Amino acid sequence: MVTLSNVTRRLGPGVVFQCLAFHAEPGARVALWGPSGCGKSTLLNLISGLLRPHAGAIVVDGVDIAKLSEAQLDGFRGERFGFIFQTFNLLAPFTALQNVMIGMRFADVVPAREWRDRAVAMLKRVGLEHRLHARPATLSVGERQRVAIARALVNRPRVIAADEPTGSLDPKAAAAVMDLLLELCEEEKVTLLLVTHDRTIADRLPEMFSCHDLVKEAAT
Amino acid sequence: MSLWHIAWRYLWNRKLTTVLTILSVALGVGLIVSVLTLREETQRRFEQEGQAFDLVVGAKGNPLQLVLSTVYFLDVPTGNIKKDMLEALRGMEDVEGAFPVAMGDTFRGFRIVGTTLDLMRFAPGGQQPYALAEGRYWERSMEAVLGAQAAEESGLRVGDTFKSTHGFVQMPGAEVHDEVYTVVGILARSGTPNDRAIFCGIGSVWDLHTHYDDADGDAPGDHHPEDEVTAVLVKLASPALRFEYRDKINRNYNAMAAIPVQEIQKLYDQLLGTAKAVLLAIGYLVVVISAVSILIGLYMSILQRRRDLAIMRALGATRGEIFGSVLIEAFWVTLLGIAAGQVLGMTVCAALGHYLTQRLGFHLSAIVWSPDLVSALSAVLLMGMVAGILPAWQAYRTDVARDLAEP
Repeated sequence: MVTLSNVTRRLGPGVVFQCLAFHAEPGARVALWGPSGCGKSTLLNLISGLLRPHAGAIVVDGVDIAKLSEAQLDGFRGERFGFIFQTFNLLAPFTALQNVMIGMRFADVVPAREWRDRAVAMLKRVGLEHRLHARPATLSVGERQRVAIARALVNRPRVIAADEPTGSLDPKAAAAVMDLLLELCEEEKVTLLLVTHDRTIADRLPEMFSCHDLVKEAAT
Repeated sequence: MSLWHIAWRYLWNRKLTTVLTILSVALGVGLIVSVLTLREETQRRFEQEGQAFDLVVGAKGNPLQLVLSTVYFLDVPTGNIKKDMLEALRGMEDVEGAFPVAMGDTFRGFRIVGTTLDLMRFAPGGQQPYALAEGRYWERSMEAVLGAQAAEESGLRVGDTFKSTHGFVQMPGAEVHDEVYTVVGILARSGTPNDRAIFCGIGSVWDLHTHYDDADGDAPGDHHPEDEVTAVLVKLASPALRFEYRDKINRNYNAMAAIPVQEIQKLYDQLLGTAKAVLLAIGYLVVVISAVSILIGLYMSILQRRRDLAIMRALGATRGEIFGSVLIEAFWVTLLGIAAGQVLGMTVCAALGHYLTQRLGFHLSAIVWSPDLVSALSAVLLMGMVAGILPAWQAYRTDVARDLAEP
């Protein structure tokens, strides 16, 4: 599903990020664990096409995304990836429903006539049917992250890239969000790549890679 | 959930800035709309009225002054000409109508125009600018027919009487004639200078000024007003004959002929053309300043929402879509500014139109879509879009990973 080989990226003058090998099977739920600054988010950004490697191959769903053009990569990312961020990254001017619909608007994989129904269904699935028209500012942090999960999954992507999805939540809310995320990924048969610095969160996933085993940031 | 809707939501999310930017565009557009509309409309109405008569023949002097005083009742006449000129004109082959006018008095600022009943029956271009609303035309001396505006403002009704004041300028101590005019008719509102005039038989003016001249100490026989008219309004068989007859009269008679439309066009081209250019330049300057405020507003907005743009890119938005959505914001602001400016301009035109109706008798339309106006508004829209390009380019260059990582 996701395979990296000999990937390098220059991060700045004299600093190079390297990942020699990484592989995740379809439907796998993988934790990328390590302390802050070890390069795990960079790895996730490379896999999801938010960053481009300077060398090496990143194959996702059979496609080497390093060889895609900018426009092709935009389309590929929208179609195959769902994103969940530590700070939720909802769009403030839009309601919960609109935030989920925007996920479909840009991915362009769901016909426009289905956007609303599918967004409503997804928000119901994450338990927010009563908050469809609420703006992010009026939602609790747990609710915001559930909207983000709904947005990430609404296009039925092949991979969920979750960067510290519980980092802004209290332990109780974090546990609830993790339960929901794992349950939905199981249901949708989605590959989950989850970056966390929290070992207890990482331990909840069937597979875990330590950042130190995967990534090297070396001075050149 | 189109890009238009997304752009609109972001504008709505910063209402105050958006409204202020729209207002600044509206100010410039309002000025441009007012200048162009008033210029087009006044010129159109002046020319429309000027077309009624092919020539005005009066005393030698300034042809524009002659036209303004006799066709639009605005200026002081250039003097009088001998009545023989009227007879000469009536004898010319291509002259279809020659209407004498004699002026010298006013009533509360409304000019008293002595003429013949032929003029009251004159219907240029199928219009009837001298149609009666009530009463009748004069049948004897010292009977008057009031224009609609003159009747409304003076409060005179059919059967009322009034005394005229000597001269064209209202001033304290002006000589008031003893003779009394009787109102016998009121004209229907025509939206022309006639609305602000008082018509009477030319004999009334002659009679009154004979007495006036006597009272002034002139020896009887020295001055005979009945031998003179202020001007003659001429209708030719064809407008194509205007220049030929103007030159012929100017060459062969002790009088001056002027073509009303030509004099008005000269007035607009030479004098009002410069005023229009200055006002338009100010309008465009305001629009340029507005365009800069659009640029700054959008640029600041893009800096503040770099993360939002990065999120959209992560969700699959292409660089083109991001560029387009920012350009659409510039389009919305400019379009709304144009719409608000159009309303502002129309309001100004309506207010000034009301004033000009009082002053000139012209009814002006506040909404005129002239080619100049359409070009000007298109130019404003283009300026707004150009102002959006730099912020859109900034948005286009979004570094997704970096902007997502920023706290």
